[in-house]
Amino acid sequence: MGPLIPNGIIPSDWDSIIAILIGIAFGFVLEASGFSSSRKLAGVFYGYDFAVLKVFFTAALVATIGIYYMDYLGYLDVGQLYVHPTFLWGAIIGGIIMGIGFVAGGFCPGTSLCAVAIGKIDAIIYVVGIMIGVFIFSELFFLFEPLYEGAFFGNITLMDSLGVNPYWFIFIFTIIAIVSFVISDIIRKRNKKIFY
Amino acid sequence: MVKRKVAKVLAFRYKILAGILIILAGGLVLLPKYEKHEGIKPEQLLSNVISPERYISTDILADKLINQDPSYLLIDVRDKESYHTYTLPNAINIPLAKLLDEDSERYLNQDEYDVVLFSNDNFYADQAWILCNRLDYQNLHVLKGGINQWFNTVINPPKPLENMPTEQFELYSFRKAASMYFGVAYPEQFKAVKKPKKKIVKKIITVKKKKKAPAEGGC
Repeated sequence: MGPLIPNGIIPSDWDSIIAILIGIAFGFVLEASGFSSSRKLAGVFYGYDFAVLKVFFTAALVATIGIYYMDYLGYLDVGQLYVHPTFLWGAIIGGIIMGIGFVAGGFCPGTSLCAVAIGKIDAIIYVVGIMIGVFIFSELFFLFEPLYEGAFFGNITLMDSLGVNPYWFIFIFTIIAIVSFVISDIIRKRNKKIFY
Repeated sequence: MVKRKVAKVLAFRYKILAGILIILAGGLVLLPKYEKHEGIKPEQLLSNVISPERYISTDILADKLINQDPSYLLIDVRDKESYHTYTLPNAINIPLAKLLDEDSERYLNQDEYDVVLFSNDNFYADQAWILCNRLDYQNLHVLKGGINQWFNTVINPPKPLENMPTEQFELYSFRKAASMYFGVAYPEQFKAVKKPKKKIVKKIITVKKKKKAPAEGGC
């Protein structure tokens, strides 16, 4: 049956409207869980708040487990889902830049827009910085192009590159997630309470 | 009292949630696995089967070959001996038994060419077509009637009777022209060829004479 749009159950003309609805819901959940605060986001790196780690890890887990159950029951075909292509160097270097920006600015691109929506000045400056970065990147794209398009691995997933059974992988991933939640809780309790 | 009990349970809420996640993930591992239906779905296969695009007629194929359409790839699914005895021009031989070999896949599983499968009639070609279609290969066609039909229409076209419509005569003249292209000789064709040969010989002689004449004048 699914995915709904590629199989024509929902016409692809609805793409943008569905994207806007999902975007609004995503933004609402981000703001409701306090992710428009740069202190809460940066808390992961300083060890006083692990909400980011918990929320995103849990979201990934719920999604994968749900998708594979639906695949098993025949409601969804995992093979038809879009897998983002892997450009190894782009991913590594982009990840490092993004990580530094995350610690220094206290936002990731999504949460920064969320914080702009509730009127945070630091987020507005952060978004202006993103725009400047985007401008520099696109103007100097001819310089970055070999790096950007280098080491292309195709639309691979961890299951493909490691060659493991997806079900076992999900199970191990769940265990890792829960262990990391417990460890992060222990670290948080050892740290002094910080009011933010 | 009820509130206290609820509070007691809720104190373990994260542990309960973690437990649910582990149970669900473990359930995925423990669920009995079944063989998944590989290839395209039966409904999709059926719609491909009844699609008119499945077959290509010998006349259309002859037209494509004469116009040297580069987008067509002919594949002969008969055995090697038949292939060496007679086949269509520029056809590739992939016997039905070797259809799923790795070397064959390069020709069959691509979207640059329109693949035309053929055999003596369309029996083996149809089987190859079904097999490849189920693997979701694109742009596959079967030559309607196969090589037998090719012989009966393009190579040896039946003469239309006098009381047949003009379309039949046009079709016949097209098929005759096509058969000449594919190397069939007609008796009337030979008569026509002999005459210009003589003329050419004569022309050569006259040209030689002409050449000599202006040279003399020039001096």
